[in-house]
Amino acid sequence: MTQLLIPMLEGTLISLKIFFFTLLFALPLGLLVAQAKKSKFWIVRKIVNIYIMIMRGTPLILQLIFVYFAPFYIFNTSLDRMNAAIVAYVINYAAYFAEIYRGGIQSIDKGQYEAGKVLGFTKAHTFFHVVLPQVIKEIIPAMGNEVITLVKDTALAQTIGVAEVFRVAKTASARDFSTMPLFIAGVFYFIMNGVVSKVFERIEKKLSYYD
Amino acid sequence: MKKILTLFVLTILTVSTVFANGTKESQEQFILGLDDSFPPMGYRNADNEIVGYDIDLAKEVTSRMGVELVLQPIDWSAKEQELATGNIDCIWNGFTITPDREKVVLFTEPYLNNSQILVVKGDSPYKSVDDLKGKTVGLQGGSTASDALNDAPEFKASLDDVIEFGENLTALMDLEAGGVDAVVLDLFVANDNIKRSGKDFRILDGELAKEEYGIGFRKSDVELRDEVQSTLEEMAKDGTIAEISTKWFGMDISVVGKN
Repeated sequence: MTQLLIPMLEGTLISLKIFFFTLLFALPLGLLVAQAKKSKFWIVRKIVNIYIMIMRGTPLILQLIFVYFAPFYIFNTSLDRMNAAIVAYVINYAAYFAEIYRGGIQSIDKGQYEAGKVLGFTKAHTFFHVVLPQVIKEIIPAMGNEVITLVKDTALAQTIGVAEVFRVAKTASARDFSTMPLFIAGVFYFIMNGVVSKVFERIEKKLSYYD
Repeated sequence: MKKILTLFVLTILTVSTVFANGTKESQEQFILGLDDSFPPMGYRNADNEIVGYDIDLAKEVTSRMGVELVLQPIDWSAKEQELATGNIDCIWNGFTITPDREKVVLFTEPYLNNSQILVVKGDSPYKSVDDLKGKTVGLQGGSTASDALNDAPEFKASLDDVIEFGENLTALMDLEAGGVDAVVLDLFVANDNIKRSGKDFRILDGELAKEEYGIGFRKSDVELRDEVQSTLEEMAKDGTIAEISTKWFGMDISVVGKN
């Protein structure tokens, strides 16, 4: 049993690495994309719209394959498996995050920007110190959903040969002729998402300063 | 706006540092691509090390060639892209030589004969392939088992249904649960499975198709292929292959240098 658990824990670390790097890059990138979507320049808006359409309109598994294999045909070189996986997850999740941010930003009344202007704040100051804190509060439930999905989506990285926990479970079950490792992997995901849910619950509580 | 810009620059910077460690490949490596869930050719043992008949052969071949063997687990359905894009140097994992694959892959001479057979439950009434008329057969999708079935159109037409599974293991589990009446798969995989799982399965008399395993290289890597081929032949002559074959299959079933 320990012989099975150690490789599975190693696989879990790989899954967690994908998870954390994706959040680290996709959260700020998503905000940037959400801003670019309201850009003054139509060309920027157009590009961002096409990007979001492609990211949300095609399967993540295909995007993984594309990010990993396509650079070879275009630039004659390719990324390391892990980096390719992280890039694919980041650009995919940034698109979803951008739409969540946009929803949050639109829910803020125009009057607040006007109030900021009257008070002599710069646009950036109004956005980061007045609008964004309210946006974050607003989007926490939707973000929680996406982040939980991300935990489970890390299993797709095996398509490009990344040995994350589900892949480890699959090879173990092929060796032992048993589905037990797959169920253990299920428990691992369940625990990881238990932690994610708890964290979001805490954040929500902390942000509910008006209730 | 300045803050957004700083954020952007910061993101780019961190991204590039993550990428800096992404360099790879030195000249002396021989990267073998395999699906590490294919016993007894290449799979993970209880210590999570990749072992198998093909792996033992490859270890000996590379040590004689004086190169470093790197075992790279891949997703089997992406094997051709992995090879074409240079992420692996060969596919060596019970890789069946087929005309379609020969169009894109440079194969060695066959090193092992395999066949596609049918596995049924031990207590089932079926005696031969013909008894499966009107029954349901399972197999691993995208494997040569489905090619074998397509090459036997009469048999395929006589079946009630063909169910494709992601892995052999799932197909065999369905057989055990009574979902399918028989499973088409590699003789080696079937033997190994029956032997090690101790499940009440048996192999039907008669085979569906004969197959040969080869090692697949990029079309442009003729020299590397020839070197591996001649090293294998050398190993066949001095009895090393017979030894490895006996270790895994209980007898010498290799066909290197015997044709």
